[in-house]
This record gives sequence, C-alpha cells and structure tokens, in this order.
Amino acid sequence: MDRRKIDVVISTCLILMSLIILTNDGLSEGGVETDLGSLFLPRIVAGLIIIFSATIAIQSILKLKRNADINEEDIISTEGFMGVNIYIGIFILYWLAVPYIGFLIATPFVMFAVSYLLGGRSWFAMTAMSIVVPLIVFYGANHFLRVFLPIWSLA
Amino acid sequence: MFDNIINGFSSILAIGPIIGIITGVFIGIIFGAIPGVSAIMAIAIILPLTFYVDPIIGITMLLAVYKAGIYGGSISAILINTPGAAASFLTALDGNALTKQGKAGKALDISLFSSVTGEMIATLVLIFVAAPISIVSLQAGPIEKVFLLLFAFTVIGSLAGDSIPRGLLSCCLGMLFAMVGLSTITGASRFTFGVTELMAGFTFTPMLIGILVMPEVINTIRNRTAPHHNLSLKNSKNRGDNRISFKEFRSVFKTILKSTGIGTFVGALPGLGSSTAAFMAYGEAKRTSKSPEKFGKGSVEGIAAAESANNAVCGSSMIPMLTLSIPGDDVAALLMGAFLIHGLTPGPLIFFEHTETIYAIFAGFLLTDLFLLVIAKSGFGFFTRVASLKRYFIFPCVTIFAFAGAFTAGQNMNDVLILIVFTIIGYGMRLVGLNPAVFIIGFILTPFLEQNLDQSIAIVGTDYHLFFASPFSWVFIALTLFFVYTSARSKKKRAKQI
Repeated sequence: MDRRKIDVVISTCLILMSLIILTNDGLSEGGVETDLGSLFLPRIVAGLIIIFSATIAIQSILKLKRNADINEEDIISTEGFMGVNIYIGIFILYWLAVPYIGFLIATPFVMFAVSYLLGGRSWFAMTAMSIVVPLIVFYGANHFLRVFLPIWSLA
Repeated sequence: MFDNIINGFSSILAIGPIIGIITGVFIGIIFGAIPGVSAIMAIAIILPLTFYVDPIIGITMLLAVYKAGIYGGSISAILINTPGAAASFLTALDGNALTKQGKAGKALDISLFSSVTGEMIATLVLIFVAAPISIVSLQAGPIEKVFLLLFAFTVIGSLAGDSIPRGLLSCCLGMLFAMVGLSTITGASRFTFGVTELMAGFTFTPMLIGILVMPEVINTIRNRTAPHHNLSLKNSKNRGDNRISFKEFRSVFKTILKSTGIGTFVGALPGLGSSTAAFMAYGEAKRTSKSPEKFGKGSVEGIAAAESANNAVCGSSMIPMLTLSIPGDDVAALLMGAFLIHGLTPGPLIFFEHTETIYAIFAGFLLTDLFLLVIAKSGFGFFTRVASLKRYFIFPCVTIFAFAGAFTAGQNMNDVLILIVFTIIGYGMRLVGLNPAVFIIGFILTPFLEQNLDQSIAIVGTDYHLFFASPFSWVFIALTLFFVYTSARSKKKRAKQI
C-alpha cells in the first residue's frame, strides 16, 4: 500500500475536520463566559492541524506527481492484516459478550482463540492457561483491588 | 535536603515498598527481555494495579519496572541479537558477538554493572539537581509556563520521529483529544455531540494502553509466522569468560562515567530518549578508545558505553518532568500520568507539597538499583528461561491484562470500548508515520497549557505585549526556534545521506 496516497486522504479528512472546528460554534455547549472562550484553544489547534496536514499532503502529492521512486518508509505492508482483523474482531466480540456471560466464561475462549491465532498448538498447555489465568485475574481483582469484573447476567 | 533524603529512606525501607520494588524489578527484567515486549508495555499494564496502593509503593514499583525493563532489553540483545528495547541495539552488536565467542556471561555481567552504575549516578544527579531547579522554576508565572509548554510541544514534536510535520501533527491530535469533555476552565462541554459518557473526556488508562501497548500486540500478530528464538545461556569452560573481573571493570570505568554523563545530559533534554544517548555515548567511546577496531566485534567497552548511557536516561528523564512538568519521552509521559492518577502533580510544587513522598520515591530509585543488581546477577538463568516463553502464551495474557486494566480505571465497559478505539487509532498512527508517544504527551500537557493560558490572559488583559515582557518568554522562543532549526537541519542531512 502506498503511504503517500493514504497521507493525502487522511490529511484531507483532518483538514475538513479542522474547518468544522473553526467554523461551527455548536461544538461547545454551556459554560461560563471567559476572555478566551471555550473554543479558543481547540481552534488554535485546528489551525495548526490544517498547516501540518497540508504540509504532509503537499509533500505526498508532489512526490506522486513527480512519479518519484517509492521509499521503503512510504510502503505500508499489508502482510498479516487478516490476523489483525481477526484479533480486533475477537476483542470486539469479547467486549460485547462480557457484560452478558461474564469475565470468567468469556475470557478462556478469548485467550484460547488468541493463542491459536498466534500459532499455538500445545492444546493442553493452552487450555490450562486459558482457564487458570482468568481465575487468577478475577480473584486478584476482586480481593486485592476491589475491582468487580462482570459476572454472568443472563439469568 | 539531606534530612529529606534520610526521611525518604525511612519511608521506603518498609515491607510494602520493598515488595513493590522487588516485584517491579522481576516484571521489568522479564518484560524487557522478551523480544517484542517493552518496558513501556509493562508499565502500562502494571499501572492499573497501582491505583489501589500507596503512591510510594505504586510509583516506586512502576519506576522499578522502568529501570529493570531498560536493562532487561540487553538480555535478549546479547543472547539472540534481538534487542528487547530499541536502546539496546548497540548492546546487541557487541554483546551477541561476545556470545558467539562463548562469552555470554561476560557480556551479561558488564551490561548489568554498567547499567546499574549509570542508573545510580543519574539518580544521584536527579536527587541533587531537581530540587534546586524546582526552586528556580517556581519563579515562573503562568505566562512563562505557557511559553515553556509551547517550547516542550514544539521540541518533542519536532525531535521525535523522522518527520517534523508528522511529529507536530501527532502532538496536535493529542491536544485535540484532550479537549473532549467538560472544560476545566469554563465548564462548557466540548466535542461531546450529546454523548454523556464523553463529558468526563477520554479515560487516561485505557487510552494509554490502547495507544502504546496494544499496537505491539497487533505487530506480533502480524508477524506471527516469524520463527521463535529460544534464549539460552551457555556457560564457557573457561571461568573467566563467564564473568567480568574487577580489572576489566576498572579498565572501562572511565568510559562508563563519560557515557553516564552523556546519558544524563541527553535524558534531561526533552524528546531525545535513551536510543540517542546510547548512540552518542557509543560513538564517543569508540572515538576515544585505545582499540576502536573491536567495537561491533565483541567490545566490552562498547557494551559498557551503550548500557550506561541508555540506563542513565531513566533517572535524568525525570528531571524535566519533576521540575517543569514536561515529560521528556513516552515513558516519562506514562509516569507523569501515574503521578497524576496518584494525586501528585509533577512540577516544582511537588517538592514542597509532597516532600516526604517525592524523597521516598528518590530513595526507592536508589534501592531499585541495588535490587536490580542482586536479582539480575543471581537470576540470569531464570530470566532467560522465562523470557523464552512462546508468544502464544505471552500475548493472550497481555490481551487479558489490557482488558482488565482498562476496566479497572472506571469499572465500566465504556473504558474497554475506549481501549479498542485507541488500539485502532494507535496502530493506524504507527502505520502512517505519526508518533503515538508525542500524541500522549500532547494529551497530558494540554490541560496545563489551557489553565496557564487562561490565567495569562487574565493577567495581561488587553495588553498583549506583556506576554513578551519577561526575559523567560524570549529565552523559550529562542530555544524553540533553535531546536526546530537544528532538528530540521539534521533530518535533512540524514535524508541526503540515505
């Protein structure tokens, strides 16, 4: 993937976002009147974002227009991205499931799935780890930190 | 000051802080030694555990993880030529060459002794320099602080990473995210779009773990097909090859002192970090060495220079944080977050408002060096075995600790969502060359900037020229321009060389 093209897209999005911050008063609600106002600093930052994004975008556009040789740093390798998508998918499912089925039930499945994704095939060790670690974390959080991780709430 | 130091030692010499330090040293060495896992990851994961203990225990434990983690990076560097931390790159060069000659024990020994010496001297500099600087910086009012913070943003943004616009853009994005939620000055809700959960802003811990830790996990998942290297420590039959003699240590002691000086100086400047210190010290040691041809081929002096310099940064990087509220690098930013969570605001006032705590932390810093020396020296074999654990055992645990850590911050699932969102943002930032560490620094410092800016405006009213009435303002403007100019020039030079 050519990072220069992505630079142009991201810079455009950031510039548009900054323009909205600069022009829309509705982004701040309530509060007391001060000399500076609530949107003074955000607007300064938005202005700076426009400058830096434009600098990055212009550099990338010039390189693309010149058909300049692509540097190593301008290439984004997409190798292994499927694994990343699966991992993020697992994490989102985990986040959705934990409030209903609880930490102790959801976590072993997640640990086992991540282990498998990372190439683990030592079934016994992986299963043992997936059961023991959540128990330790749950017990430790409950008794030492007074943090109550979610429990089964389907009943 | 000496009274304070003695009081600090009396506070730290208790069961709780000592257990904290020992735990921190163990965790730090193990995390540092595992390739692909860094000290910063260890600190971010341990951070939520420290919420519920006394600040002296919590902060010293985090600092122990930091120091031991930087040292731990040299173990995998020496044994398998894979630096656990970027700063150990040069250690890998000479250390692994020694390992191939059957002198791994010697390389590990000199790395440990140099690290501990560097850290200890830098910590002493921190103790004796920080308080006097804080007295000077107490003179700074809101106007001077605004210029100081602008200086910090610009220098950190322009020095970190390969591109100045990308560094500064990362900083601006961090600043923008910091302004989501209720304004502490006006009470207005900004960028919340009617979502009440956003009123309090983004919770720091899940955001931190998402930006700094989880992208490392994702990187490992992307490279999951790469072969696993087992760390193993093979002792030579010749006992002299397994340890460093006093004579050998004495012969490189001058190099250690010089490199520690370089590391301490570099660490005290914001934005440079331990890798720069290691490279500068290594270059200087090679330039002045009697046998420069050995560098890169198994030079004990080379390891001593790189390790003492990169470990000296640990102590001195706390100087700008504790005296000026400016975290010099990503780890300092994280530690600053930890200080804030524990109700300690880093800055000159910390020496007056929390004298006992801060000197106890300093004493803990020194004690950590001793524990690091003893624990690492007696457990090389153990640490190499633990650090050899397969990645499919380590990273599922990191995932769960990250989840639990994010949940711990506010005991609600929204914080886990913040973790997921910032994991994606953090990884995306790395892909497009933005700097997550600078993003975090921008996030942490923005509330201070906003507060001081508001106070400054209240002071100057409509006489805006008063902003430039203080010599401090001009000094910081000049320093900012100087740093940006030199950084741009050196980056241009480097680009031409490539």
